[in-house]
Amino acid sequence: MTETKRTLESRLLRGAHRTLTGLSPAFESILAAVVGLLIGAILMYIWGFDPWKAYIALFKGAYGGLYEISSSLSRATPLILTALTFSICLRSGMFNIGAEGQLFMGATASILVAYVVVPAPFGQILGLALAAVAGAAWSLVPAFLKLTRGVSEVISTIMFNWIARWLVLYLTIFLLRDPMRGEKTISIPVAARFPVMVPRTDLSYTIFVAVAFALVIYFILWHTTVGYEVRAAGLNPTAARYGGINNKRTMFLSFILGGVAAGLAGATITMGLPPTYAIYGGAAMPQLTNVGFDGMAVAMVGRNHPIGIIVAAIFFGGLNAGGRVMQFYGSNPVPLEIVRVVMGAIVLAMAIPELIRIFPAVKKQGRELTGLLRRLTRRAPKEGEA
Amino acid sequence: MSETQTAGAPPAQATYYLRAEGITKVYSDGTVALREADVELHSNEILGLLGENGAGKTTLTKILSGLLPPTEGRVVSPRGRIRFSSPREALDFGIGMVHQHFALVGPFTAAENVALSHDRPFTRTQLAKTTERLEALMEESGLHVPLDVPVEKLAVGEQQRVEILKVLSRNVDLLILDEPTSVLTPLEVDELFTLLRRLSDQGTSIILITHKLKEVQSVTDRVVVLRHGEMVGDVKTSETNTEQLAQLMVGQALDKDVRAVELSDKELPIKQIRDRAKREGPGVLHVEHLTARGNTGEITVNDLSFDVHGGEIFGVAGVEGNGQTELVESLTGLRVPTTGVATINGTNILGVSPRQIYRLGVAHIPEDRWQLGLVLPFTLAENAILGIHQWKEFKGPLSFLRWGRINAHVRELMDRFEIRATGPGAPAKSLSGGNQQKLIVGRELAKDPAIIVASQPTRGLDIGSAKYIRDLLEEMRDKGRAILLVSADLDEVLARADRIAIMYEGRFMKVCYPDELNREQIGLLMGGVSNEEAP
Repeated sequence: MTETKRTLESRLLRGAHRTLTGLSPAFESILAAVVGLLIGAILMYIWGFDPWKAYIALFKGAYGGLYEISSSLSRATPLILTALTFSICLRSGMFNIGAEGQLFMGATASILVAYVVVPAPFGQILGLALAAVAGAAWSLVPAFLKLTRGVSEVISTIMFNWIARWLVLYLTIFLLRDPMRGEKTISIPVAARFPVMVPRTDLSYTIFVAVAFALVIYFILWHTTVGYEVRAAGLNPTAARYGGINNKRTMFLSFILGGVAAGLAGATITMGLPPTYAIYGGAAMPQLTNVGFDGMAVAMVGRNHPIGIIVAAIFFGGLNAGGRVMQFYGSNPVPLEIVRVVMGAIVLAMAIPELIRIFPAVKKQGRELTGLLRRLTRRAPKEGEA
Repeated sequence: MSETQTAGAPPAQATYYLRAEGITKVYSDGTVALREADVELHSNEILGLLGENGAGKTTLTKILSGLLPPTEGRVVSPRGRIRFSSPREALDFGIGMVHQHFALVGPFTAAENVALSHDRPFTRTQLAKTTERLEALMEESGLHVPLDVPVEKLAVGEQQRVEILKVLSRNVDLLILDEPTSVLTPLEVDELFTLLRRLSDQGTSIILITHKLKEVQSVTDRVVVLRHGEMVGDVKTSETNTEQLAQLMVGQALDKDVRAVELSDKELPIKQIRDRAKREGPGVLHVEHLTARGNTGEITVNDLSFDVHGGEIFGVAGVEGNGQTELVESLTGLRVPTTGVATINGTNILGVSPRQIYRLGVAHIPEDRWQLGLVLPFTLAENAILGIHQWKEFKGPLSFLRWGRINAHVRELMDRFEIRATGPGAPAKSLSGGNQQKLIVGRELAKDPAIIVASQPTRGLDIGSAKYIRDLLEEMRDKGRAILLVSADLDEVLARADRIAIMYEGRFMKVCYPDELNREQIGLLMGGVSNEEAP
């Protein structure tokens, strides 16, 4: 009987192992999301909250109605773009952590639209263009350092994030300040704003900018020779070189495209997020902070595929939007921070298929332990007999 | 065939070391890798496992060593049924495997690499103990490697010795070697076989996976032949001959040419010369005083001058690591040579990017098909346009890829070059080695090149695929293309090249027609002994 039990166990284990390692990427991401939510639930339970009620509040707050869906989509907009920054560079074989800084620069550049007077569609276009150029320019220096001196892009982009942050703080306080209200920059004029799409929500037409850019990136990567070269160089630089592909060119290109995406993300916040249409809040800059880093999580959950990223961004946007509702939910006020915990847990859970590989080792330890116990228990009665 | 199958049964039944009973293995994608295989292993015996690529040799050994669970059947030792969940468990049991692609940590020394397979590898005492033990082991086995040099600096043959030492240091009873000779020089092969004999005499059971019949004949005691996952023979080596084995392995009457190349222990049929007059004057590829440095800065190509003409196969023979890699890389834009001149139809190709060189009509079949020739995670279609993705045929307006045309092109390649795969969308890594190489060859020949640089084009391939690729090269030659064939397989060069150069330490020892030298002389030249010095 133990024999059959053991084989059943091992078959189950092996089955689980095979299932988990052979998962399709999309399913892996969904599984990770579920695991992340479960971990969040356990934590809520430990802290004395009702996870069920809290999650109902969260999902109602995220997707429960037109207003809620609009808030989620509005929060997803910049995340789509910063996630693309990370993904494009990863596809070409680099870890670009610089979305945060490039977003700051893009947001600041778009504020410049306030200083010129242009009619309706051109203001928006000009703002996006300025932001795109600023984001791309900010990624140029790490790109050049990488390509000419071999400086690791991880380190240079992180440092450039800090430079951007304090530079933007200086600019917002001393140059772009609203003369009437010192805590914020001058606002984007109404004519240059992206109009709100759903009345009385903060969802504006910038979502189309983000989705369109994601589609453009998808077509570039999978349907043009340029994207083909980028992906080839990212997967196997040696073979790419053999195939006549200039790896430096693909790296440079993906850095620039990534910078454009992050710059646009900054513009979607300043030009399309009511009510301020400006950078505010002094050194904290709450609208801009962490959007670049969250984008990396979105990119991972979206499996670095533009379409996956759109879906993942809507999910993360929903977590952000629903989290606010969750903390006000009557008898069960779960703090907003738990949502950040869930996000962290999801990113960790993305590594589960890797974790599965250690299962056999765990199993072996267990088998050794039971073997030892069995030997010990068997020896005991013998001694009794003697 | 049935009478041959029983020949391997030993007189005493209980003396087996391992026994596989009714092994069937079906992979999760539905491939049946093995069907009802029964094998018995004995101590003091070298078992040859013979079969073409994809015949199930590696699967069988993985199951024997317990690394892969069989779908049906079981593996038993006299101590009971065996099942492992990691290579280390197999090693603890006494089964060690030396893989075709080595599992060594490049920057570690030999001693550190060996220590890795022990418990607590890097405590000072453990490392000292390992070194001591290795020195004793090297003395005992005659396998000598420098212990304090990072293994990435060692030659391939030496790295293999480190792998073997690693396994031996764990006192294995069963040593499995997967295609061990494919990277070795003839001399190293002899040394390896002497070692295997000695180990076998000391009681080790050895499995030698190979598809070279000569090796089976020269070293094994018993041969198991696999074909498409089925055991088609289990015979004593002394009771069979190469022709019979080859027939079992391939399953059909062999082409005479292949048989001559693969089977003959005697003199090879050296290529008859067609017309010498044609090969005078400057060729399609013209190289003058080419000198190039290797990755570590030493001169590896030393002042080479030669011409490759249209309608000829210029074969470069020699032991690997004598500058062939650097020569090919210099000519295909992957390495910038230090000095010299090289032109294709009069246009300079030195220090020029690979893309520009391809435009001159160069096809390059690289020696490392996994690192250089293919992007493994890419699909068949994506790999089939690597290097030619800029062609007008595949590139629409705004540099859009024309997937329709690309897929049509791939289907045509699959048809024409007999690439077996589920379709253009199959990942390249899912293909067998032979099909991967056919994909590369097909892609390169589709360029309709003026010159083909083929580096080790048939390494690791089964007889059928190898012959197919060699025939393709001859076909291109007959169409008037120039072919530079670099190969460590002397038989291949002798049988197929119109002119041969023997390369040794970056120089050509001799450039001549194949019928001007016999194998003995070539062997001497490959070892660096020139004719003047030779007795």
